[in-house]
Amino acid sequence: MAHYDYIEKAVKVSRREFIGIVGVAGAILWTGAYVATDLVQDRTKYIKLRAQGIYNDDVKAKVRQSHNNQAVTDVYKKFAQNPLSNLAEELFHTKYVDRTKLV
Amino acid sequence: MSQHDEHGPRVLKHPLISRLFHWGLILGFLPAALTGFFIWLKPFGESLQNVIMQIHIVGACILTLSCIIYTIFALDRVVAFTRRIFTWDSRDMAWMKVCGGYPQKMLLGKTIPVPPMGKMNSGQKQMGIMMLFGGILLVVTGWALYAFLPVAPKAAMYWFDMVHLVVGIVLGVSVFAHIFLGIYNWGEFLCMFGDGTQPLHEAEHHNPVWVENEIEPVKGSNITTPGQQQPG
Amino acid sequence: MKGFQSQEVTRIIEIDSKTCKGCDSCKAFCPTDAIEGKYGAIHKINSEKCISCGQCLINCPFGAPKDTVDVVDQVIDKLKNKNLTVVATIAPAVRVAIGEEFGMEPGSLVTEKMYGALKQAGFKVLDTVFTADQTIMEEGMELIAKIRHYALGEPTEHHLGPLPQFTSCCPAWVRYAELYYPELLPNMSSAKSPMMMAGALGKTYGAKEVWKVNPEDIFMVGVMPCTAKKFEASRPEFKSASDYWKTQGRSGSYPDIDVVLTTRDLARLFKKLNIDLKTVAEFTDKDNPLAQYSGAGTIFANTGGVMEAALRTAYFVITGKELDVLEFKPVRGLKGVKEASVTMVDTKTGKEVTLKVAVAHGTKQNVKALLEETKAGKSPYHFIEIMNCPAGCVNGGGQPINPMGTSWLDKAKAVLPWS
Repeated sequence: MAHYDYIEKAVKVSRREFIGIVGVAGAILWTGAYVATDLVQDRTKYIKLRAQGIYNDDVKAKVRQSHNNQAVTDVYKKFAQNPLSNLAEELFHTKYVDRTKLV
Repeated sequence: MSQHDEHGPRVLKHPLISRLFHWGLILGFLPAALTGFFIWLKPFGESLQNVIMQIHIVGACILTLSCIIYTIFALDRVVAFTRRIFTWDSRDMAWMKVCGGYPQKMLLGKTIPVPPMGKMNSGQKQMGIMMLFGGILLVVTGWALYAFLPVAPKAAMYWFDMVHLVVGIVLGVSVFAHIFLGIYNWGEFLCMFGDGTQPLHEAEHHNPVWVENEIEPVKGSNITTPGQQQPG
Repeated sequence: MKGFQSQEVTRIIEIDSKTCKGCDSCKAFCPTDAIEGKYGAIHKINSEKCISCGQCLINCPFGAPKDTVDVVDQVIDKLKNKNLTVVATIAPAVRVAIGEEFGMEPGSLVTEKMYGALKQAGFKVLDTVFTADQTIMEEGMELIAKIRHYALGEPTEHHLGPLPQFTSCCPAWVRYAELYYPELLPNMSSAKSPMMMAGALGKTYGAKEVWKVNPEDIFMVGVMPCTAKKFEASRPEFKSASDYWKTQGRSGSYPDIDVVLTTRDLARLFKKLNIDLKTVAEFTDKDNPLAQYSGAGTIFANTGGVMEAALRTAYFVITGKELDVLEFKPVRGLKGVKEASVTMVDTKTGKEVTLKVAVAHGTKQNVKALLEETKAGKSPYHFIEIMNCPAGCVNGGGQPINPMGTSWLDKAKAVLPWS
């Protein structure tokens, strides 16, 4: 055991001080946790706002189904005949590439 | 009689738990600071940078755990420390003006009169404030950057990283001053890394206000007033 | 480099080694584990594995990954050329996000302002949402042909791939399948993406019927929320328009889509031309048949949107009746894998058919299980929509970077990188 003759007097924390410390510490921690969890929870808010904007575009459109888009019908009438026609296959369909076989 | 005399009355300056905490800080902060420097500059290749990062995280864990354990098991020490670093008066201002007399002593060999100090001198109080706030900032930003990057808002993480870097550099550089001065004051070094005690007259020289007001004889000892030396 | 056809652009996203902190944030979002570099070391993208989706780019807190394909100045040059007809084909997701580059709230629907800005810059418009409607017609009829053949047992004159049919509009998903699930390529819808249809349509029908110019004098600019579209446009097979014109006696070989601008690129172009989206004169382009679109086309931007649009039309074609409620809630929302079934009475045969569909978004978390199930022959679905980016194209790699957001849709949890 170390030999010493003097020791520091005991640190006194009054009840009021203790409550003050715990109160301030708690307030800081709780505020920090609240802000942090809020920010983390809102991390996808921008995505939801954009998605809602798109659904609004749908709701306010005069025509809501692709088959009722007269301009598209005109493309088939004047040009491509009908979906999956030979011309449609040429212009609007494609083939895919097995890239594991490409060097 | 040598300054670090084994005989004569002694005072307990740093209790065991504080000395253990100090070791925790050394084993935690120093590797973290050194590796942090290399994480910032990234001079090495992939494998070594990865090992450096792993050391950084281990150091950070030791630092964080030491702080938490010390706060829980030695709250009175934390309160005492916090009170001391935020208590400043005109003597502290005067001490700062002459830098505690240290440059004069080290560079010119001159000893100048210096205002009487408590357990922590003004420079140590300033370092204490930096370490308290800086340490909290490093630990909080560090854990967010380690564990929460993909889920946390990007702008917040960008600023956390900036704070972590700047505070890390400031504290990392300051700790070298701390180590240098801690060795320069060899008696203090022996105290902190030894059994935590110091000859009373040495404490009277460096920390007279503390000796005057904040210490008392150990129960069961023959001494009735501080400063009274035993014969022989 | 392996896995590329000639002329394809091989590097789109690259990590700036001076900015990268080695924090491993990007790895949490990369669907193909294409990012190399241990934790703490500078990271690098392996272009042979990368599908150019840009999720790493929009999620890096330090902006280290960069889009290296910058054609803004090239487009501005073309806009100045009076002999060219520069056409912009704009994806639906662009119009709810480009406002963010000008200080507006995310989700601000700015179609008329966007059209006005494009007009002021000198672009003509062929809206990708218009060709999205056309994609529904092509892909929808392809699906119905497969259902009639496989589920109702009718003979077919088309060469049909097997069920389930996968959507093909997401170029990151297409390259992912071509690299990692080539055995599922026969299931991929043969329909092109709306952007590529716009390229082919614009340089044929657009040249002939709408703008009345030579097809080789059209410069087609895709404006997309997507960095993978820059790869898609460079695919050498996409010169269908010039192939068509060769059969009509014209010469010349040119791509269907010449260049692609991301939403961010277009905002930069506007700023370089001193066009402020907030104050620009609005333009509805209502006399332009190629800018007329339906609500079904516009919802392509959201996960579940392609499915919902296809169901609105498939229901009508099979039953002869329109859906009472057009909003198909089971395929909407941010859940990783959504499924639904629609029971219809076929007006041609009177038989009842139940269409089982699935919607997956976020390749990294949600798509693999569906693909493995299909590979094992155990898929219960007829039609599967796949979007690589979490939440769909509204959160694509080409969209404005939202500083307070991330693509992490799952429950928030600690990620503890080590190596």
